[in-house]
Amino acid sequence: MDLSVPPDITFVVLTTITLLAAILALQAKELIYGAISLGISFIGIAGFFVSLDAPYLGMLQIAVYVGAVVVLILFTIMLVRREEADKEEAGEGGEGAAGLWIAGLLAVSIAGVAALAGPNLPISPPATNLPISQLGPVLTGTYPVPLIILALLLSGALLGALVLAKIDR
Amino acid sequence: MNLPTTPAELLPFIIAVVTSHTFITLVIFPGFIHLTVVVMFLTWYERKLLARIQLRIGPLYAGGPGGILQPIADGVKLIFKEVMIPYKADKPLFLGIPLALVFLGALPFAVIPFGQHWVIANLDVGLVFIFAVTSLFPSMILIFAWASNSKYPFLGGLRSLFQQVAYEIPMWISALSVVMLAGSLNLVQIVTAQQRIWFIVPAFLSFIVFFIATMAELERLPFDLPEAEPELVAGWYTESSGAVFMVIFLALYMKLYLMSSLITVLFLGGWWGPAFLPQPVWFILKALVVATFMIIPRGVYPRLRVDLLIKVGWTRLLIIALANVFITVALLSTGVLSAWGL
Repeated sequence: MDLSVPPDITFVVLTTITLLAAILALQAKELIYGAISLGISFIGIAGFFVSLDAPYLGMLQIAVYVGAVVVLILFTIMLVRREEADKEEAGEGGEGAAGLWIAGLLAVSIAGVAALAGPNLPISPPATNLPISQLGPVLTGTYPVPLIILALLLSGALLGALVLAKIDR
Repeated sequence: MNLPTTPAELLPFIIAVVTSHTFITLVIFPGFIHLTVVVMFLTWYERKLLARIQLRIGPLYAGGPGGILQPIADGVKLIFKEVMIPYKADKPLFLGIPLALVFLGALPFAVIPFGQHWVIANLDVGLVFIFAVTSLFPSMILIFAWASNSKYPFLGGLRSLFQQVAYEIPMWISALSVVMLAGSLNLVQIVTAQQRIWFIVPAFLSFIVFFIATMAELERLPFDLPEAEPELVAGWYTESSGAVFMVIFLALYMKLYLMSSLITVLFLGGWWGPAFLPQPVWFILKALVVATFMIIPRGVYPRLRVDLLIKVGWTRLLIIALANVFITVALLSTGVLSAWGL
């Protein structure tokens, strides 16, 4: 994106929605509102995909994350009885501070990397609307290694989830 | 089109806006007005058809032939009824979700081609768009059921969620063979590819699976467990009344029309038909025929048991849908269909 032009209105609106919904998802007192705002935040991310000329990814983002993951979260929330959920007290506040520290560090490091490497980055090729039929060949032909790493990461996450779920049995 | 600067330019500007293609497709056809009229017609049509199946007369007195103005009378009645919000219900969600349901029901019509040029948004990923939007229904229904703060809606909402999530899988897998046949996810191109042969012929098994899964998605008999009257009063919308009920009702019939349109697009050749009728008329006629076949079981069949519902979904439909993917691949690779340009 050319930085000399004023910021894209779509980008600003999408960013605002996504970030506000994400904050609300963490801060909502009623868990179900948190889940709904998480869904809205996911839809905002799908909007980014669409505005980046990747409508297919955007649609799948909605279908998978909002259609399936949020349903799972909603379901979990509803299975927990309300009294139990209310009894759950917030932490002492130390976690929030730690989270802020980590977020700040991350932001500073990203900004640092961008500031150092930004001017030297190669100009990215113009976003072309990749036809969906080319998606498979590109993924498996041009980028096989990232795909395999992603697959390993996903199976690692799956195994981790299994281990976590098995702990108290 | 420039914005008007003087009052004298206002009238031509309005005329230019109203006669523009965007305005016509969005508001009149296939947009807002067309949807409202067809959905209202469908509510009357279902009542009349079921009545005739059960040797009753059905709506009769609300004006027009056969009481065809009944939906308007129903609407006026429901609007003026009291909206009762259950004790300790989640008010914003209880009132907001029905509106979201109508919005989600109407949104996919933006990509459905009612004719070669009668489509609001010719999206390249039209089918995935519909898939994405309809996958939001179950969560909305569950949230609404939860917000009612009552046990019958909640049980109905859970059943609805399980059923819709389970039947989404065979439904979209069976749509896959259509995508392979047409070589595109664009609904306009899918219909264009059916100029010489409707996909119901090469993908007949897909059509059957898609139709059955659609019935389950729509929670229509014999799959209406989420609103089983003897057990759950009216299922997930038990607590809705007055205008809230009307909006949910509209959303359900909107979804019925959406799914029959989708079947028309995927399997029945969309707008194609003999040239003596315009393309959109053919499309709507086909969609109404599909809707008829979705309504008739309600007057004929009993409800499925829960275990049978699960069994049909996972051990029959899914297997057939998966097998059909391979059949389609075989048909395409052996070139049997090349006579029809596929």
